[in-house]
Amino acid sequence: MSNIATSKRKVAIIASHGGLDEAYPSLILANAARQSGIEAFVFFTFWGLDIITESKVDHLHVNLAGNASSGMPTMIAGLPGMESLAAKMMRKQMEELELPSVREMLQILDESGAELYACELAMKMFKRSKEDLLPQVKDVITAGDFYDLADGAQIIFT
Amino acid sequence: MEVPRPHDHQLAAVSAKLDALSQQVGLIVERQRKTEELFAEMTPILKLAMGVASERLGDLERRGYFEFATEMLKVADRVVTGFGPSDVRQLGDAIVGILETVRAMTQPEVLAVAGEASAVLQNADQAEPMGILGMVRATRDDDVQKGMAVMMELMRHVGRAAQLVSDKRAASPLEQKRSKLATITGAKKKKVLGVERPAPAAPAAPRAQAEPKAPAASCGVPQTAPSPVAAVLDGVGFSADGHLADPTQWTAELAVKIAAAQGVGMSDAHWKVVEFVRADFEATKVSPNIRRITQATGVTTKDLYTLFPKAPARTVAKIAGVPKPAGCI
Repeated sequence: MSNIATSKRKVAIIASHGGLDEAYPSLILANAARQSGIEAFVFFTFWGLDIITESKVDHLHVNLAGNASSGMPTMIAGLPGMESLAAKMMRKQMEELELPSVREMLQILDESGAELYACELAMKMFKRSKEDLLPQVKDVITAGDFYDLADGAQIIFT
Repeated sequence: MEVPRPHDHQLAAVSAKLDALSQQVGLIVERQRKTEELFAEMTPILKLAMGVASERLGDLERRGYFEFATEMLKVADRVVTGFGPSDVRQLGDAIVGILETVRAMTQPEVLAVAGEASAVLQNADQAEPMGILGMVRATRDDDVQKGMAVMMELMRHVGRAAQLVSDKRAASPLEQKRSKLATITGAKKKKVLGVERPAPAAPAAPRAQAEPKAPAASCGVPQTAPSPVAAVLDGVGFSADGHLADPTQWTAELAVKIAAAQGVGMSDAHWKVVEFVRADFEATKVSPNIRRITQATGVTTKDLYTLFPKAPARTVAKIAGVPKPAGCI
């Protein structure tokens, strides 16, 4: 009668991009996994660090330039102010759909038991310390540590 | 001592006034006499002067001064009818600024720049059509770069001045009154460049307060018809994903049984969530997702995962006898 995953199913999601449109897929996948009774780990690396950085999480942008799906010519999409305009429009649309903000999504993930990790190498590259990150981040670990943690998990790269 | 009678007192005042009057009369007579003398002396001089003047006027007439003056009067008349006294007062205030501007603009260097620019405009017909690439290429030219810098600086100053003007206008009492009035009456804003603004949303109907707000589109589609029955247990039909096929068949006893099968022992905290989910489904025909449950019941996400381990929204939906929640948040 039950089809909720009773096995020890795990997903390990690697978030490597920091755009608003790039943050949601990883966060929603992780949340959906938790809602389906699947263990979830999220590893934030490179630009993905912005998603869990206190000063950046509320100001993630949408990059239209070079995005064929944006429907906007790259010449125009690259103009100053376009990306923040796009981010604003996307935020508005998400609000209409009652999607939680990125910050709220991370809180929900933390409360639902998903584990969030920051990449040590990326932290060094971007000169960030643990204090710059959101409190929901469990630890700063290396890619090798992440593999150990996510032993037996399905890995999703976003 | 004898007190002076009122009569004497009035007499004294009248005689004092008379004295003053006679003095003034003397002065007037004196002035009149001097004027007469002046006229007597002036008459020959004036005659001479008038002769010269009329000669001069005739001369002016010949040279077209009067015609010019009449035309000028017409211009002045047009100016007067076009402008009010307050405009003239403002002009008086601004005259120093105007003169300074004119002086700055008529400096030889400035005129040279303007002359150079107008020479280009005169030869505008010889200019080659240019696309975006041409524009980009042109920016490599030193002169174009310099010109762009000048234009940018000009734009910066114009912008700053425009800001000052708008600040000043906003600060003026008339404008303040107007904006205050607009906020009270809710007057619609003036359309700018024909851009149509959407009308402000109508106030929510009172019934919206009585009914729970329908969840947003991200939370799935309403389900009114019972799901197809895939299995029947104890005379109750279940759908393929393990939810009660017909939510109306739900009973509290059944809920306890389903909960037990899910490994959940029902407590008051469990019932609070289950009752909300049933009530919400009743009202919206949509199974609430975790976010909706936490926001409506005040139970935190963390507690929800403790009460209903593994997928809370789905487990609660099963226990509450409603379909599987569709949203992904």
